[in-house]
Amino acid sequence: MMSLRSYISLKDVVFSRSGRRIFDGVSIEIPRGKITAIMGPSGTGKTTLLRLIGGQLKPDSGSIVVDGHSVPELRRKELYTLREKMGMLFQSGALFTDLSVFENVAFPMRVHTKLPEDMIHDIVLMKLEAVGLRGARKLMPSELSGGMTRRVALARSIALDPELIMYDEPFTGQDPIAMGVLVKLIRDLNSSMGLTSVLVSHDVQESLSICHYACIIADGKVIGAGTPAELQDHPSEQVQQFLQGHPDGPVPFHYPSSEASEDFGLSGGAS
Amino acid sequence: MIDRIASFGRSGVDIVISFGRSGRFLAGVLSGVPRPATGFPLLMKQLYSVGVLSLAIVVVSGLFIGMVLGLQGYTILSDFGSEAAIGQMIALTLVRELGPVVTALLFAGRAGSALTAEIGLMKATEQLSSMEMMGVDPLRRVIAPRLWAGFIAMPILAIIFSMVGIWGGMLVGVEWLGVFEGSYWGNMQASVDFWDDVVNGVIKSVVFGFVCAWIAVYQGYDCVPTSAGISSATTKTVVYSSLAVLGLDFVLTAVMFGNF
Repeated sequence: MMSLRSYISLKDVVFSRSGRRIFDGVSIEIPRGKITAIMGPSGTGKTTLLRLIGGQLKPDSGSIVVDGHSVPELRRKELYTLREKMGMLFQSGALFTDLSVFENVAFPMRVHTKLPEDMIHDIVLMKLEAVGLRGARKLMPSELSGGMTRRVALARSIALDPELIMYDEPFTGQDPIAMGVLVKLIRDLNSSMGLTSVLVSHDVQESLSICHYACIIADGKVIGAGTPAELQDHPSEQVQQFLQGHPDGPVPFHYPSSEASEDFGLSGGAS
Repeated sequence: MIDRIASFGRSGVDIVISFGRSGRFLAGVLSGVPRPATGFPLLMKQLYSVGVLSLAIVVVSGLFIGMVLGLQGYTILSDFGSEAAIGQMIALTLVRELGPVVTALLFAGRAGSALTAEIGLMKATEQLSSMEMMGVDPLRRVIAPRLWAGFIAMPILAIIFSMVGIWGGMLVGVEWLGVFEGSYWGNMQASVDFWDDVVNGVIKSVVFGFVCAWIAVYQGYDCVPTSAGISSATTKTVVYSSLAVLGLDFVLTAVMFGNF
């Protein structure tokens, strides 16, 4: 039974791709109006989890419920309607390269609403003002830095005032100033708009500094979940290795291999 | 031996799967009625990039092919004292065969490869995914206008190609080699039938346009979203389109002109 406070509920989700099991019974509750960080080592399927929530992928089994709708069971049209309540910030920004900054932010409004042009103009400028890029409205995506690209993408993803926003690795490859700006924006947007935010990242410090709840995924399972303070005191060695960034531990430094002596030709009969 | 048979079987299954996927893809693109207010501007933009921007290569190629036909036709026909039939020969060759086929091959090389690369790059940079997450179906917003633009542009380009080719043939045959102008146009008018030759040629180019555009957009949409994947998809577009055009041309020619 989905908790009333949960906006998203994943229960026993199993998902495989190309014969590899990505998730093996993952269950996560994402509370309404809060920032939830999904963390884990690279390649554990964090982005895949967002695509499952957004209905771009279907699980092999298990349930994914978003705002009371079972996503895998939705018909195409219903799914597209549900997505109008979602915003997603992609790792690359995913701006439309043939449209200016202004037109990128205006795009969802032009497609989904019948607002008059002057109102779209004002809303776009307000969204760009919120991310500090009102002055960059005439630029093309190719003229933006990586941090600016993500801020424009953020403005676009909140253009229709969504209930849910998903951030896919928002801090990756950002300089400290751009990262600080993004941290502030995510926090401010959540508090001012009351958004439910899902933040996928492996940047531990930044994520824990803004999230209300976090869960860590590894080996296809949730290995730890709770508030940032609870996670810091989590008894699991694997959780502590990830949070502290230790190079060796339950997640081994070496890729599985045969004995080194065999590979170097040192075993058996060397004289 | 068993491995080879298994590998051969796997290839066959892969081909059938690929055909099935492209069929489902096409059904997805064509299903649903586009809204004129949003669909028409998108279609016009694609008609410009797929059709208008292909005009230069089509016109220049048509001119030279017409000129070569004039030169070769004159050399061969004058051996039999029939050089007056050069207009008839050029027109029938262009309208029935070379117009639709060469335009389709040029289209696949210029516009088809560009379509595949553009859609592939949109996929690699997550633009298609972001569109989906905004509740916008990329099949209808991105793919459908490009498919329809190819379908509409191809017959128009083929007609222009044939017209320019006939004019190029006249430049060589009449202006340079001295064939009587009245014979050039008169024989052409007497022997080219509107329905049997012109309309059949246009039908061919409509079929080629549809197939080339389908292959181009499918390869772009289905490509592996990496630089190597996009490069491979672009190559496939040109190769598959060319083979499909030449194969279909034989089938259509047999049906239209085979007198079975």
